[in-house]
This record gives sequence, C-alpha cells and structure tokens, in this order.
Amino acid sequence: MSRSAIQASGLSRRHFLGATVATTAMLAVGRPGPSFAAGRELNALMWCDHTDAKLLEPFEKRFDVKINVKEYQETGAALAILEQSQPGDWDVFVVDSVDVMRVVARGLLMHLPDAGMPWRDIFPDLRQPKLHYKDGKLYAVPEKFGYNAFAFNNKKVDPGDMRRADVMWNPKYKGRIAVYDYYIPTMEMVALGIGIKPREMSTAHLPAIREKLLEIKKLASVIGDVPTVQNALVTGAADIIIAGGEFVTAGLVAEDPNLDWTLPKEGGIRWQQAIGVFAASKRKNLATEFVKYVVGPEGQAALATASCYWAMPANSKAALDEGVKKRLRWDEQPAFIANSYPYFIPDPTLDKEMLAVWQEFLQA
Amino acid sequence: MRARRGDGAAVRPLDLRRWALWPALAFTAVFFVMPLAGMLALSFTRPDPAVGATLENYRSFFEQAGGVYLKALWNSLAVTFWTTLVSIAVAYPVAYILAYRVPPRWQRLLLVLIVIPFWTSYLIRSYSWLLVLSEKGVISNALLALGVVNEPIGLGNSRGATILGFVHFFTMLLTLTIYANLVQIRESYRRAAADLGASAPRVFLYITLPLSLPGVAVGAFLTFVLAIGDYITPQILGGSKEMLLPQAIMLQVGRLADFPMASALSMVLMLVVTAAFLVFARWLRMERV
Amino acid sequence: MRPGPWICAFYLAAVAVFIFLPIVVLVEFSFQDGLIPVPPFKGFSLRWYAALFADRKLLDGLWNSLLVAVLSSLVATALGLLAAYGLARRRPRFAGAIQYFLMAPITVSYLIVGMGLLIGFNALGFGKSLLAVGIGHVVINLPLAFAIVYSQLGEHQANIERAAHDLGASDLQALLLVTVPMLWPALLAAFFISATLSWDEFVIAFLLTRFDVTLPVVIWNMLRSGLSPKLNAVGTLVFGVSIMLVFAVEFLLSRARRKNG
Repeated sequence: MSRSAIQASGLSRRHFLGATVATTAMLAVGRPGPSFAAGRELNALMWCDHTDAKLLEPFEKRFDVKINVKEYQETGAALAILEQSQPGDWDVFVVDSVDVMRVVARGLLMHLPDAGMPWRDIFPDLRQPKLHYKDGKLYAVPEKFGYNAFAFNNKKVDPGDMRRADVMWNPKYKGRIAVYDYYIPTMEMVALGIGIKPREMSTAHLPAIREKLLEIKKLASVIGDVPTVQNALVTGAADIIIAGGEFVTAGLVAEDPNLDWTLPKEGGIRWQQAIGVFAASKRKNLATEFVKYVVGPEGQAALATASCYWAMPANSKAALDEGVKKRLRWDEQPAFIANSYPYFIPDPTLDKEMLAVWQEFLQA
Repeated sequence: MRARRGDGAAVRPLDLRRWALWPALAFTAVFFVMPLAGMLALSFTRPDPAVGATLENYRSFFEQAGGVYLKALWNSLAVTFWTTLVSIAVAYPVAYILAYRVPPRWQRLLLVLIVIPFWTSYLIRSYSWLLVLSEKGVISNALLALGVVNEPIGLGNSRGATILGFVHFFTMLLTLTIYANLVQIRESYRRAAADLGASAPRVFLYITLPLSLPGVAVGAFLTFVLAIGDYITPQILGGSKEMLLPQAIMLQVGRLADFPMASALSMVLMLVVTAAFLVFARWLRMERV
Repeated sequence: MRPGPWICAFYLAAVAVFIFLPIVVLVEFSFQDGLIPVPPFKGFSLRWYAALFADRKLLDGLWNSLLVAVLSSLVATALGLLAAYGLARRRPRFAGAIQYFLMAPITVSYLIVGMGLLIGFNALGFGKSLLAVGIGHVVINLPLAFAIVYSQLGEHQANIERAAHDLGASDLQALLLVTVPMLWPALLAAFFISATLSWDEFVIAFLLTRFDVTLPVVIWNMLRSGLSPKLNAVGTLVFGVSIMLVFAVEFLLSRARRKNG
C-alpha cells in the first residue's frame, strides 16, 4: 500500500486502530465454542492411525472422556517429546514393539494387568514376551503389525519380479523405485536381499549393504516417508516401494485397484506396534480401559482400517469384514508371518554405523 | 507544570527516550541470546553425560564418512545461490514494470495480486507444486498434449523442483522489496538525467539500477537467509535425493535425538548466515529517511 | 529501447501464470470427486468442504493461528516501535552494535530459534503452549518491525516532535500523538508483515505446541496421512478469505482517498 494513499486517508487510520482493537478483544475473549472437555481427558502420544473418530468415539462416548492425541512418526521424536514434558502430561503411549524395553528402562511405562488382555487371540509369533514383559510384568500389548517388503503398482511392473528380492537393484526399473526413508527396516530388507538375516547383521556386513544401497540410489526416483512414497506410487513417480507394504497401499485400493503389496520369497521384515500406559499418568484406570478397548475386537477392526494407514490387527479375532480381509491378505498371514523376520533394533554402535551408511546413501 | 532549566531546555518528567530501548533489548536477550548460548554450550557435549566437553561434533562435521555434512553445506549453498539469482532475475523486471510502466492507479492492485498467493499455506503450496510437477500433473499433461514428450514426465523430487518451489515464494518477496525501493527513487533524478541527454537504457544503468540496489540487496539477503534455513521445501520437493543442511539437522533430532550434534550443525548454519550478513551489511545498514 | 507495452504485458502475464499455477490447481482439485487430488479431474463435488467444516481440529487450528498472529504481531510492533524510537532519538554510544543485536534473530533460521526455545523452556519447566509459540514469533518478527519503523524515523519527524515538546507535551504524549500518527504506514506494514509470517509459520509452532496447535501444524499432521482434497479445500478457503480481506482493505482505502480529495 503506498504511503501517500495511507497518509492521505486520515479516515482509514482510525478505522484500522478501531478494527485492530476490536479484533484483539474478540480474539482474546471469544472462541468458537468450547474445544476442551469440561470433564475427563486422556492425553495420548500415538501414531497417526489412532486419530480416526471411528476408533476414538465409541470409547469417548462409553466412558464420557475426551481423548487428545499427539501424533509422532519416530521413536526418537517421541522420546524427545517426553523429555521436554512434565510427568503426568501423558497417559497412553503407542510405540514400536522393539522400542518398548527402551522406554521401560527409562521408567516411563506402567505395569499393566494381564487380566482383560486377549492374549490367546493374539497371533502367537507376535506375542514376543521378551519385548513386552520385564521381570514377569506386562508393559505393552501388541496391537497392530505389518511388513516392510514391497509395495507396487501391478499394472506397471511384472508381478513375478516382485517375488524376488533382487528386484530392488534390477536395472529394468531404473527411475521407477521409491525408497522408504526409515533406515532400519530398509537396510534390513536390503540385507535380506543379499542373504543376511536381520538378527545376524553386524558391522562386518555393512560394506556389502552399502554397496547395494549405492546401486539402488542410482535407480531410485524418490526417497521419503510414508506419505511421500505413497504419493509417488499414486502420482506415478514410482512403481515400486522398497520397504513398503500394506501400510502404504491397502487404504488406497478403492481409489486405484492396481496398488498391491507382497513379500518376496526371501522374506520380509515384520514390524509391530504396541500400546501401553505411562507410569506417571493421572488417570491410570481409564487409560488401561482404553488399552483394553483398542486391543479388543471392535477397536482392532477400527485400527486396522485407519485412514492414516491400514495394517493387520494383532488380535486374530478382530471384527474385520470380508473386503478388508481380502485387502490385508488375511488368509496368507500365517504364511507371511512364518516367512518374515521381526525387525530388529541395532545396538548403539551398530546403529551409529548404519546411520552413517544411510547418510552416505542419501548424499550419493 | 514543567520546570525549566536556565538554558531553556525542559526537564521531562518521563524520559521515554532513555528507557524505550530496554523492552526490546531485554526480550531479545532472554528469548533469543540465552537459548542460543545454551545451544552453543550443548554443541560441545555428547548425549552421553559421561563424556565431558568435546569437539567431537565439529570433528564429525568435517570427517563424517562420505563427507555427508560438508556435502549438505555445499548443497545448501548451491541451491540457495541459484534460488537467489533466479528469483532476482524474475522479480526485478516485474517490479520495474509495475513501478514505471503501469499507470499509478493500477500499481497497487497489481502488486497485491502478484503477492496474494503468500496467503495460501506454505505447506499446501509446496505439495501443490509437487502435484503440478508429477507424472499425472498439469505440466506433464500439457507437454504430452503439445507433443513435446511421448510419455508422462515427472519433474518433481529433484533439486530443480526445490529451486522452483523456492523461486515461486521468493519472487513474490523480492517483487515487494524491489518495488518499494523503486518507487522511492526521486523521479526528478531520472528526469534530470533524461533532460541532460541520457537515453533510456543509460538512465536505467546509471540512475535507476544503482539506486535500486539497496532494495535488491535487502531482498537478496532475506532470500538467502530464509532459503538456506528452510526445511519444508527441500523435504517436500527434493525427494531426499540429496541432503541439505536443515535436513541433516532434523535427521539428528529424529530417531537418535542427538541434540548436541544438531546444535553443532545449527552453529555451522548460523556461521554461514552471519558471513552473508557481513557481506550484505553495507546495504543493510539502516538508513533513515 | 524502452520495453514496449506488449512485451511488458506479456512478461507480467507469464509471471502471473507461474505464480498462480499451483493455486489454480489447488482450487480446482478442492472440488475433486475422488480421494486423490491428482488429475484426472473426476467431477465436481463439495464433499471436501463439508468435511472441512466438520473437522474440529482444523477450525481450532485456524483460530489459534489467528490469535497467535495478531497478538504476537502487536507485541513485536510495539517493541519494535519503542526500540526504533529509543535508538533514533537518543543515539547511544553503541548504536551500531545495538542495531546488530536487535537484527541478529533474522540471521538465525526458525528451526534454530525454535530448538533453542524448546530446550530453554523445558529447562525452566515452562510447558509447550500457544504462548511459547507467540514468544517465538515475537523473536523472529521483532527485527523486522524494528527495521521497518527505524527506516522511517527521520529528521523531519524529530523536528515536529521538538515542536510538540516546546508546546509542553511530554515524551509519551509526543510519541503517541505526534510520531505514531506520522509513522502509521510503517507501523501498519510492520504489523502486517509480522502477522503474515506468524500465520504461516510451521517449524516453531511444531516444536513448541502440544495439543493446541496452529493451522500449519494441523495441515502438517493431515499431510502425514497422505494427500487429500480436504487439504486443497483448506488452502482454497484460506486463500479466498485473504483475497476478500485484501480487497476490503483496498476498497476502504480508495474510498477514504476519494473522500479526502
């Protein structure tokens, strides 16, 4: 706005002053309706698949509570958030099963009662007592699982190729490959491709993995997080996602039926997430009820088909309908579970080395 | 009433001018300087409390395998350089045309129109560009229709896309700063030069351009600082095909929660920008009207 | 060789196309009758706007953004005005150093400002909140407000101030009744720019909020869930409201100008 115009308009100066004062007063005093619950609240630190109304509302209505969700993507980010928080700030936690003990070691999780948890219904391979129990006490319940293997557009690729791990560095797909940027499952998938099982992985294997990564880099069109690689598949920027899985494509099949996922014969990496209650929570009983709800058949069905990403519920008795079961390859699950390796968190030294190799990959 | 001293100067009961500076100074000291000092201190430590003061983070910056951090700095400088150059090249003619070739009645309106996209969310705008540049996007379809390419072409997920996204934003910013400067140049100077026989190009080269440099310099500086520190645009449009410095910083804050290393990288970033500030200081020295 | 009118018009049009391309696409696909805002355009539908208005988080985020933008800009402008006034009228010995000090936050990326405050606030037990974000936004906008106002504080205003003093006004009266009205355009510009930058700012808001978040953070969380025309709807709406505001301002100004002859 030119100076002369404003200086000449004495009228507008008063207008603006008045408008600003009125606006500020309005903002400070009025808000469009109360957005805080007059009553009880649960504060949850969770992955984005827990934000749907269809998951939260039934519980909120039944127990007259409001659930506030803060989403995060990586355990490191969650730990950072917790470090910057006061005790009692949070009630419920959803975290990677492999990170549960890390969190327990910091004394952050509460010991959960075994009663009321559907252990018999949870797939046997997922129970992993070493990850969820310490000294005989339960700290987190598995709630959802999936795979980091391959997601792809079956119109654009040869489905037969997708059953072989070496598709990752197959020059036939130059410029058509997207890479999921969470370095641990991706590097473990690459390791599987050259015959190294995740549990066996050590610093000695890193040079070979590094070489394969650099080969992949030449063929890659995009590297990114879930939304990024998902978009790439959808917009056609890529046809294959390395370390992708049902979590990328199952929710979008209605929109594009060509999107699919599978494990190669060499196997895939299996991830799972668990839910628990914070030790410093001020609403322990309510939080525990919420945990029971989420791992019960009703909650499991809603969780499996979350708008953020779909994946398999840990409870085999989840109330899934036929269409959903098909998209999640529910009948193939026992075979897939048998052919997959739970993903494995490296010790700090290996972790640092892996991250160093990963950064080289990104910068190549 | 007011006392008067012997020399006629009034003794003011409230010497506003003496303390007016303090609120801003105090605020900056508490909420800016102190946190930064904390980060600087943090950059000389490691997450493991057993390790005392150390230069390890800075050593990592130079010696990390693959030179990844040095490359991150270089990539940031390159992207920012091109962004600044292209943005100025695009924006200057716009500002010039608006200031001198458009009737005064319409200048403000057109300026506002050019700048309106400022108010769509930066995040959404970046994603919109990603879609526009994608294989199924508008540009690919247009090129296909025109016969320029035979199959869908994706222009996103690249350094070019990052620069494009930046240029989109900074063109608007630079148009504003350069225009603001151009309209302040006294018309009488230009007319005098013309009266003395200078041709239009000479008027531009010897009068307009030099006098508009402060506006260009301020805009260029802002572009440099905002672009080199930006995480969003390279993250959304770059496809992580390469890492820039802000992305390296966020990577440290991610899974490993390595705040000391993140702090060290942040200090490097600050150093670079301070260097830029010193280069541009001549034009940034604030002159009062 | 003066650039002819056609070349100028063509260039402006070309730049306009460049500037507006992502916006036009954004608006078009907010009406997409499908899940993904990507060509082909499947048909006209208002369902995403309906979804938008039903989305409590979005509306709250919008409100919070407005609140933080207006309040933090007011504070930044006020502090900037005081600082510029103090520096211009009473040239202290280290004027240059003070100028650098006040301008320093500009040289630091928002990411760093945010991280610094995050670490600092937590050490003091001061929780994440909209207030924390507001403080962060004042930090980044104060230098701009200061610079804008300072550049307009010139000698001729000083003369009028002195005249006011001679007529018996106190410093405060002179400042509020004489200087501020003369500085009005600069103050408005400072406020406007601060509000604009605060409104769309992401990194600091992301780092310093817990549940009450600003619009950019809501959008970021929505983006985490994948593309959706609902985001296009948000962008379009915000854009539409801005245009209306800008034209309303233009209208008021031109009306006032005509009134004053």
